[in-house]
Formats: sequence, structure tokens, C-alpha cells
Amino acid sequence: MSVWPSVWLTLQLAAVTTAILMVIAVPLGWWLATTKAKTRPLFEAITALPLVLPPTVLGFYLLILMRPDSPMGGLWVKATGSTLAFSFPGLVLASVIYSLPFAVQPMQTAFASVPQSALDAARTLGATSRDALFTVALPLARRGFLTGMVLSFAHTIGEFGVVLMVGGNIPGQTRVISIEIFNAVETLDYATAHVLSAWLLVGSLTVLTLVYLLNGRGGTRVG
Amino acid sequence: MSADVLHMRLTLSRKTGFELDVEGRIPLSGITAISGPSGGGKTTLLRALAGLEQMDSAEVRFGQTDWDAPGTRLPPEARRVGFVFQDAALFSHLTVAENINYGARRRGVSHYDAILEALDLGPLLKRPVAGLSGGEARRVALGRALASDPAILFLDEPLSGLDQSRKNELLPYIGRAVAEARVPALYVTHSRAEIAALADRVMGLENGSLTGWQAKPIRLKARVVETMGQSMRVLLAGAPEEAAGARAVLPRIAEVGEVVGLGVRAESLLVSAVSPGRSDAILQAPAKVVKGDGGLRVALYGEEIAIPRGGPHAVGSTVWLSIREVAARPERIDSAENRL
Repeated sequence: MSVWPSVWLTLQLAAVTTAILMVIAVPLGWWLATTKAKTRPLFEAITALPLVLPPTVLGFYLLILMRPDSPMGGLWVKATGSTLAFSFPGLVLASVIYSLPFAVQPMQTAFASVPQSALDAARTLGATSRDALFTVALPLARRGFLTGMVLSFAHTIGEFGVVLMVGGNIPGQTRVISIEIFNAVETLDYATAHVLSAWLLVGSLTVLTLVYLLNGRGGTRVG
Repeated sequence: MSADVLHMRLTLSRKTGFELDVEGRIPLSGITAISGPSGGGKTTLLRALAGLEQMDSAEVRFGQTDWDAPGTRLPPEARRVGFVFQDAALFSHLTVAENINYGARRRGVSHYDAILEALDLGPLLKRPVAGLSGGEARRVALGRALASDPAILFLDEPLSGLDQSRKNELLPYIGRAVAEARVPALYVTHSRAEIAALADRVMGLENGSLTGWQAKPIRLKARVVETMGQSMRVLLAGAPEEAAGARAVLPRIAEVGEVVGLGVRAESLLVSAVSPGRSDAILQAPAKVVKGDGGLRVALYGEEIAIPRGGPHAVGSTVWLSIREVAARPERIDSAENRL
């Protein structure tokens, strides 16, 4: 049995998830880095929850949310005609939530280190706050952006628990590499498990080395 | 001319104990220095006026435009304040040219060659910001602010952190650039040398409140009659060519025929009833007393000047002014009063 459908599916999932995450992480990271709101610690905690919760807990709640008889799941069925659970869109939603801290935290750290005077200068030079965010803050925080992107991608590739809970094990639809490895081991197909595991190991090591290289010595700590 | 003033009433009280309570009017012409000890609120005042700092209450009126009024708060980008920050605050991800263009593009300015020239920025344009020296960075920051077509310039200690020779180098640039841009400027500093060189008037600020206008720096007008390498010879405005004491040689900051303002600190000026003869003064000229006591006023080659110290002298009598030191500043050459 070919492992390629699951490799392809995994890369697709990681790419879509990363794209969505970065769209969320820029405004959210910016807000967390600049707000004076008293509710900030609460939102920081919510963002960091996936780091500490067992994937099964997260997966369980997501599964409940995605049931066709729940408000969100029902809405999805009405809009698309299929259920959210055990589908690719469901996997994307779960991955976005599961990998959120890996995108938001580097972004927040990078935004916090952008000098206030540069932003003030941009405002006095005629930039609106949104203009200053995209033309000054984001370029100055680009390392955080790259770090967040790479980590989100890598982390999504490596997830297992949440995927198993929410996506199940459908070939070509929800069976990603980590599940494929699990299947291989269950069926004593150690050769396949070896190849896939080695690839994930080498891939992850490469990606992390890249991130630390990007951040230089004493750069942003990740996760 | 009530329209041409910046009117402000600001209050702020921070948890740290810092308080700002300011009410005043500043004429919108020339360079107004705001002077006072560190921690007195000078920077906070500028930031508040520029819309960068939230005040407890704010009423700011720039000419005919409300910047801050009950229910209105004009955002910083709409105030057209050219702000030169203490640390230059350049955008480190852009080149010098891109920095200068940042504000210019947003305000629809496409030509600012005169500013580049006044600040000698041409050779720096392609450089990344990271490699600039302290003095170069300040010049770029000033150019960037001026190229954004400001209605007023705010300079927050633009020379702080530079050594004395760099300061002396940059001072004429600032004078020239402000004269070139033809906009009023607020200049925060506690340096008496910078005030003498640049300021038309001085407002004091201490412990968060304005302490009133301080003695105006004495400023004489002169015309450049000759340039020699890095020096220039100037002649006081209205003085005949042959008046030896009305000529001085100064570091070159302008070209032949241009008008410069000579700032004189009160302690460099001596008033005497008789000619002092040979002295170490660089300028020595007779003047007619216009007003003798309660603040001496004299006419020097037709130009009336106020001298905070000195007197009493009889109205109509002649006194001699001996000036040991001046700081030259380029003046606007378009206004009628400067035409010689």
C-alpha cells in the first residue's frame, strides 16, 4: 500500500493550516503585544492552552463542537451538506487551534520588540495605525513571522492525537503521516514505519535548525 | 494675529507622580525653544501635541484647526507634525531614500531636492540605515520629517548624545533646513548654546508647567559678503562696507549674498558708553539708545534690538556694543523684512 496519499495530505493540511494561522497570528499577536486591556492575560492563556492540554482533551471538545447536532456542526452541514468531523476541513480547523500558540507567540514577541518610536514616527509621517502595522511593524518583526510560519507548518505535520480524535483514519481524506506510522506499527509493517519516522525526524531537525539559525544567538525562544 | 498661534491646554497626572498642567499660546513663526530641566515634561508635551500621548484632558488648536477639543481628537497622521525624535527613530528595514520617501509619498510630495541639498543627504540616499553615524542619522531624520510636508516641525533634543564637534556641525544644518522648509518649529532643548544659535524665543517648562517666556535671544541680521574655504565674512545688516567693527569671520554656513541670523548670548555682549578700543570682541559697533531703562533698546544700523542687561543709558545717546561670540543661522530669504 502506497504511503504517498498520506504524505500529500499531510503537506496540504500543513500548508492550508499555516496560511490560515498567519492571517490570524498577525492581528492577534499585534493586539497581544500592544494592548493595555486588562483582559490580555486571559487571551494569552487561551492562546497558550494547546501547549498544555492533552491532545485528546482538545480533540474531544472539538469533536463535540463538530457534531451535526451542535450549533457549529449543524451550521456546517447546512452550508456544505457534509459533516465537519472526519473531514479535511474539520482537520484544518483542529490543526489551526492546535498549532495556534506556535504562530502567535513568536509573532507577539517580535512585535513587542519593535521600537515604539519607529511606530510613532510612521504615524507622524502620515501613516494610519493599520498602515504602520503593515509597513513598519511587520517588516521589523519579519523574523517572528518566519519563525511562526515554519513552526506552525512543522507542528501541524507532527500532530497525532487531535487528528486521530477529530479526523479518524480515512485514507486520502484524514489519514496523515503520523497516523500512517501508527497503522504501520499496528500491522507490524516496520519497514514503512522506519522510512516515515526517519523522514519526519530529519525533516523536523532541519526545520528547527533553520528556525534557530534565523533567530541567531539568544533569539526568540520558541513554544 | 490670533489665527497664527498654537493654543494649548493640557493636563495629565500619572500614577508615577508625574504631572503635566500646561496652558499657553505659541506664535507660529520661527523657532520656539522649549527649555527646562530633564524630567520637566518637555518630551511629553511635544508628544501630546503631536497626538502620540493620551492626556487626561486636552485642548489644542493649531491656527484655525482643532487638534484636540471636547469630542474631537485628530489622529497623529492628520496633524502634519514633522517630528524629529531624540533617537532619530529611523526605519531600520529601509534605506535612507526609502525612509525619506515614507512620509513624502503619504503626503503626495514628489519633489524635495531642496531639502536633500540643504541637509547634504544626496551621498547617503542609497545607504542602509544601519551603517549611518549618529550625526548622519539625525540629518536623515530631519530630512524625513521635512519631506513629509509638515505644517510645523517638532524637534525633541535632536542633538542629544552627540559630541560637541558633531553638534557644531549639525547646528547650521538645522537652521538651514528649517529656513528652507518655511515652517514654524518647536525645539526642545536644555542647551543654551543651541538656543542662542537657533531660537527666536524661549518658553520655560519646569515640573510639568510652563514658566513663561524667557529673555529673547538677541539676534542680529547680517549678510555674507565673502567666502573663503570653510569660512565666511559677514557684514551686519544696514552697516556701511567700511565699518570695520561690523564685519566678522565665521564658520561658513551660507553663500555670498545670503542672509544669516547671528545669535548672541547675553553673557557674550558688553554695552559701554565709550568706545572700548581694541578688544577680543569679534563685532564692535555703535548703537543709538531708543529706550534707556526698564530694558535697554538700541538701534543698530537701523535695526532695533532689545538687550536684557545693561543700562541705564540716556535715550538718544550712543553706546558701544562689543560681542565676543555669535552663532550663525541661515535665515529665510523670501520675506520682505530680510531683503537688504
